[in-house]
Amino acid sequence: MGGYGDIQMIDENGLRVDGRGPGDLRPVSIETGVIPVADGSARVIWGTNHAVAAVYGPMEAHPRKIQRQDRAVLDVRYNMAPFSTPDRMRPGFNRRSREIGKVTADALESVVLLEMYPRSKIRVEIEILTAEAGTRCVGLTAASVALAHAGIPMTDMVVSVASGKINDVVVCDLNKEEDNYGDADLPMGILPNSGELVFLQMDGDLSPAEFQEAWDYNMEAAMVVHQIMVDALKGGDA
Amino acid sequence: MKDGRVARPDNMSVSNDADGPRNIGRASLLVAPGEDLGESEGHEAGHGVLELDGRLRATKHGRVNENGTEIAIEPLRTAYIPRPSDLVIGYVEGCTNNIWFIDIGAPFNAILPMSLGPGKAAFGGTRSLMDIGEAVLCRVQEVEETHSSVVTMKGMGLRKIRSGNIEQVDPHLLGRLIGKGGKALRQLKEDTDCRIIVADNGRVWIDGEFDGIVAARNQINAMSDDAKSTGVDA
Amino acid sequence: MGIPLVPQLLRAHLAELAENDQRHDGRARWESRDTELEIGILRNAEGSAKVRMGDTIVYAGVKFQIMTPYPDRPNQGGLMCSAEIRPVAGRNWEPGPPSPESIELGRVVDRGIRESGCIDVDNLCIIPGEKAWQVILDLFAISDDGNLFDAFALAGIAALNSAMLPEARFEMSDSDRPLPVSKTPIMCSYHKVGGRFVYDADGKEELGGDERIHITLGDDGHVHSLQKGLKGIFTENEFAEIMEHAQSRCKELRELVLETEEAD
Repeated sequence: MGGYGDIQMIDENGLRVDGRGPGDLRPVSIETGVIPVADGSARVIWGTNHAVAAVYGPMEAHPRKIQRQDRAVLDVRYNMAPFSTPDRMRPGFNRRSREIGKVTADALESVVLLEMYPRSKIRVEIEILTAEAGTRCVGLTAASVALAHAGIPMTDMVVSVASGKINDVVVCDLNKEEDNYGDADLPMGILPNSGELVFLQMDGDLSPAEFQEAWDYNMEAAMVVHQIMVDALKGGDA
Repeated sequence: MKDGRVARPDNMSVSNDADGPRNIGRASLLVAPGEDLGESEGHEAGHGVLELDGRLRATKHGRVNENGTEIAIEPLRTAYIPRPSDLVIGYVEGCTNNIWFIDIGAPFNAILPMSLGPGKAAFGGTRSLMDIGEAVLCRVQEVEETHSSVVTMKGMGLRKIRSGNIEQVDPHLLGRLIGKGGKALRQLKEDTDCRIIVADNGRVWIDGEFDGIVAARNQINAMSDDAKSTGVDA
Repeated sequence: MGIPLVPQLLRAHLAELAENDQRHDGRARWESRDTELEIGILRNAEGSAKVRMGDTIVYAGVKFQIMTPYPDRPNQGGLMCSAEIRPVAGRNWEPGPPSPESIELGRVVDRGIRESGCIDVDNLCIIPGEKAWQVILDLFAISDDGNLFDAFALAGIAALNSAMLPEARFEMSDSDRPLPVSKTPIMCSYHKVGGRFVYDADGKEELGGDERIHITLGDDGHVHSLQKGLKGIFTENEFAEIMEHAQSRCKELRELVLETEEAD
């Protein structure tokens, strides 16, 4: 998080660098069945973010040491393709990706009915092809749709979005400049039918009132994205 | 979650009811996981449905089926989960001295013990009786709580599959393949002059003359494609 | 990579199909699957392409970096090809370090492009002895239903062909200019299925098939690279048949690459 308060990212009319108002979501489109060989798959285009997710399983959990006798485990990988960022990302072990994989798995394990498949694993593969802020949210959202597409039972789908603050204005769904130079970033993973949370992180500086505003923006945006997810599932495969 | 009925190919599109298939003619509601299905009062949660705080909720992506008081989801895509007495087509993936491990397309491989196998051999002679990569028609004998199963070849018609071809069909299309009262399958067998066995794990064995096998495969693919494009699938 | 089970019945069936001059999906012996090529689809890459062949889907991205030339080659830049088949692409692609299969894939595709000389590394100099362009081609599979070789090779050359040197972004000039690519090498791969070679094998044919041959041809029909993979033997006649098909198919695919670039 920057705290580069000098960079003006919102003008006197309340318009952001990409023309959005403070409460506006970037355009989101979702398709299912984009990876034909997978058990379930989805593509999410969110602003200029482009992510795909594939689900394989349930299958026998190998290696044995990750197996749990009473339930399935989610084996989640989050990865950014080398060409996803302006500066090439070297393939290979990446701590940030490892962390995101873990918190994504934690979020999804809160909704997937894991007890139905003891000793199994369900693989979730998230690949970011083009990155432009909020990739962990895009990835988690894509993974939810892919799991639903694969017929994996869940109590709800997870919708994830990040709001924050730029130039002392709370805004919904940070874009790249706002994420880099803004003052706060609050990504959340929301269950649309209950408003409960399965994923929560925060960086930066928000007053209690600002925090509430960002929280509310995320909740509202989640409802919109959720409808897009449902429409994608009901609309049939790509 | 209450272990409701597992999605099974033979009760998806073809009803057990004497009156015929239940949902034909009415577009069944397509739901996503998390969707509310109404009050739980007076209803039972079937496959893919959860009861939470007095309401019924869909946990799978699929079509809602009402079967009396039971509300269940017929998933659009599903993994095969074995049940006792299922007829399955499997491939030998490995073996030990007296057990074969059979891939039946389920999360876990099935176990075929020598005593339930194709014949008798000395301890250690498993591969000479049935080798890795061979295909077999067998029946699920029992399923333990973690869904790994024991299969048997002792039973009418169960045997090694030595000829012909095995196709894979999405489990939820098997009902369509078989047809009302088995009509579509009978027609297919006649048209192609082939022996066709539809197993519960989504695998179909086709045996006969080469041209018949190819014709049967083409018809099955056509049925799958048709189902996808006319929206039966979505 | 997880070793998939090869059903004996599949091999027997593929052999019978071959004897009857048929393939399991109804294609003719030298027929390819539906092939789609798109370029410029990855916003953060300086050149990009997406190829779909049947259910095999791959992306290629070109990124540029500034490198310091080697002391003994002060005017030379570099070309690096990297191929990744991550677990996203299929049930049998397991997480972990690159498997021998994926390493071979990357290297075979790299050779096809490099040996053609389509990228002149002597032409990538910025400041002699100090700075030169390094061209990095990343090949990325998201769905594997067979013949990743040809999909990667096609996406790779299409991405290179449409790549722009980011001279403006690196403040070397007012605008970006196209990466000079002097020719369009194309790879065609053949798998022995049921006892005979076929073109563009899909996942099932690869599973039940045997050895394979990869041929990269340049604009003038010149041979730029060859690779025979897996165990098995083939005859001079079989090779001649394959080469004949490759000559015409490579030409078709080359036209596809060039047309797609023009239309953009």
